Amino acid sequence: MQPQHQPSPHSTPLQILCVEDEQFISELYSRALRGAGYEVTVIADGERALEVAQTNTYDVILLDLMIPNLSGIEILRALRDPARVPPIRAKIIIITNLEQRKEVRADIESQADGYLVKAEITPKELLEFIQRMIPNEIQ
Amino acid sequence: MNHLQKFRRQLYRIFLGISVLEGAALIAAWGLTSKSTVSPYILAAAGVAVIIINLAVAYLVSSLAVAPLQSVWQAVLHISPSEHGFAAPQTDTLGPGKELATTVISQIYALNDSVNKAATVAEAELKKLTHNFIAQNLPLPLFVLDANKTIIFANQAAADYVGHKQTELVGQNVYPILDMSFTSTNTFDNWLKQVQGTKATAVNIWERVRINRGADRQERLFDLAAYYNQNNPDKLEIMLLLFDHTKMYSQDDQAISFVALSVHELRTPLTLLRGYIEVFEEELRATASPELQGFMDKMNAQAEQLMAYVNNILNVARIDNDQLELHLQEASWPEVLKSVIDAYSLRAKVRGITLHCRIAKNLPTVGIDRLSISEVINNLIDNAIKYSGQSQVINLDTHLTQDGVVETTVQDFGLGISPSIIPNLFTKFYRDHRNRAQVGGNGLGLYLSKAIVSAHGGNLWVRSKEGAGSTFGFTLLPYSQLADEAKRTGNNDLVRGAHGWIKNHSLYRR
Repeated sequence: MQPQHQPSPHSTPLQILCVEDEQFISELYSRALRGAGYEVTVIADGERALEVAQTNTYDVILLDLMIPNLSGIEILRALRDPARVPPIRAKIIIITNLEQRKEVRADIESQADGYLVKAEITPKELLEFIQRMIPNEIQ
Repeated sequence: MNHLQKFRRQLYRIFLGISVLEGAALIAAWGLTSKSTVSPYILAAAGVAVIIINLAVAYLVSSLAVAPLQSVWQAVLHISPSEHGFAAPQTDTLGPGKELATTVISQIYALNDSVNKAATVAEAELKKLTHNFIAQNLPLPLFVLDANKTIIFANQAAADYVGHKQTELVGQNVYPILDMSFTSTNTFDNWLKQVQGTKATAVNIWERVRINRGADRQERLFDLAAYYNQNNPDKLEIMLLLFDHTKMYSQDDQAISFVALSVHELRTPLTLLRGYIEVFEEELRATASPELQGFMDKMNAQAEQLMAYVNNILNVARIDNDQLELHLQEASWPEVLKSVIDAYSLRAKVRGITLHCRIAKNLPTVGIDRLSISEVINNLIDNAIKYSGQSQVINLDTHLTQDGVVETTVQDFGLGISPSIIPNLFTKFYRDHRNRAQVGGNGLGLYLSKAIVSAHGGNLWVRSKEGAGSTFGFTLLPYSQLADEAKRTGNNDLVRGAHGWIKNHSLYRR
C-alpha cells in the first residue's frame, strides 16, 4: 500500500536532502516525509552529498555520520564553515546510530541544528521533529 | 708516655752534664790557685753544693718544661680515633707554658672539629647524592608530601606523568595535581585520615586508580602505593608511588569500544524494525484481526524491550567511562511518571501485568534528567515484572517524605530477595544465582539505576521478603533544593556525571 500523500499548502514544498547510505532506512524516512508533502532527495555518498548540499536549495539536511567517501562530520564542518558566503541556509539534523564520546557529540551538536539517534526515533517521530523545527512551513 | 719520659730524662742528663762540667771547672780552678787563701775543703764543699743545686734545678726545669708538652700529647691522644676513652688533659694545673699549651690544644681541638665536620658533610653529601639519584631516576612517578598533603618532592617521572614541570609541583597541594578516583570508598584520602594520628607508619596499595588529567589529555589508570610516616623530622610524611597500568586496564575500555560498536550494529536493525512496525500500525491495524493486533502489540513491545536493553548496556559503558552526562532540569514529577508509564503500558499489557499507580498531590517540582530517570523507572518496573512470578500486580507509589524529598517506590508481590544477596544487588553483572535459569537479564539495570539516582543526588534502596515480594525505592531532590545549590556554587546548568567511580576527595565533587 502506498503512503498517503498530503499536498503542501505552499507552492514550493519543503526541500529535504537525506544523506544516508542505508537504503532501507532512507526508504522509510522518504516515505514518511513525502507523505507529509515534502520533497526528498536521497544521496548515499559523502562527496556527492557535499556537492549537492552546496547548491543551497534545501531547507533541511538529514545527515548520517557514517557514509562512504566523506564522513558526516566533514560534510558538517564544510557546510558550517564560517567563511562560506552565502552561508548554507538549511537546518542540519544529524541522524546517526553511532555512539560518540560525549565531547565529540557536544562538538557535533554545537554545529548542527539537531542530533537524533536513529534507533530512538520512528520515521513519524522524525517528521514531527522537523515539523517542530520549521513550524511555519507546516501550516 | 715513654717518649715524654725519655725526653725528660734527656733534659735531665743535659742538666746533669752541665753540673758535672761546672763542678770539674770549680775543682780545676782550686788546683790552679794553690796560693788561694780559701780552704780547699770549703772549695770542695762549694763544688759539691753547686752540683746538688744544679741537679735539683735540672729535675725541676725538665719536669716543668715537659708538663705543657704532656698536655698537648694527651690532647692528641684524647681525640685520636684509635685511643678510645683517653681522658682530656687538665690544663688548669699547668705552670709555665700554660697559655702556650692551652692555645695549641684548642687549635688541635678546632682542627679536629673541622676534620670531623668535613667528614660528616662528605658522608651526608654522599647519602644525599645517592638518595637524589634514586629518587630522580626512579622510572616510576614518585611524590613526597608533608602532613598537609603539600608536595615536597616530585621526581621527573612524576612531573611527566601529570604533565607539569618539576619545579611547579613543589609547594602545591597534591589533590588538584593528582585528581584520583578509586573503585571503592577505600580512597587514599579516607585511608590517610584513618592513619594520620593513629599510626606511626603505615603502607597501603590500591589497584586500578584513575587519574583525570584535564579534557585534552588521556586519562590514566594505575596502581598506587602509599607510605605514611608520622612526624618525620624532615616533614617527609607521605610517599606516593604510581605504577601505570593504563594499557592493561584499558583493555576494559576496548571492551567498551566493542560495546559501542555492537550497539551501532544492533541499532540499525532496531531502527528498521521500529520503522516497519510503525508502517504496519498505520496501514494495517484498522483491518487486522484481534489476534494479529495482539501480535503487533507484542512485536512492538519486544522492539521497545530490545531498545531499553541496548540503552542499558550502552549507559553502563558510558558510566564506566565517565561518559554519561546528566542535565538536571525542573520538571513536574507526576507528568514525567505518567508519560513513562504510558510508554511502558504496552509492555505491561502484553505480559498481562496491571500497574497500580498512586501519585501524591503535594509533590514539588523535581530536578531531573528526564531520559535517564525514565530509564530508572523502566528498569525497576522491568525487574518487578521479571520477578513477579505468578503475581500480576505492580504498585507504583510516589510521595513526599518527612525529609522533604520525593520518594518513588515500585513494589511487586513475587519471589522476593534473600537477605544474603541484597548487599550485592547493585553490583555490576550481579544476578541472583537461584533465578538465573528462570529469569532473564544481564545484571546491569540496578547498577545503572543506582548510578543515575546518585547523580541526581538521590538514593536507591530495596526492601524485600522472600516469597512475599520486593519494594525498590528511590528519592529525588525538589528542584528548589538543587536551584539553591546551583546559586550557591554558581554552577547554573546542573550538569552531573554518572559513574561508578568514587572520588578521592570532595574538593572537586561534580
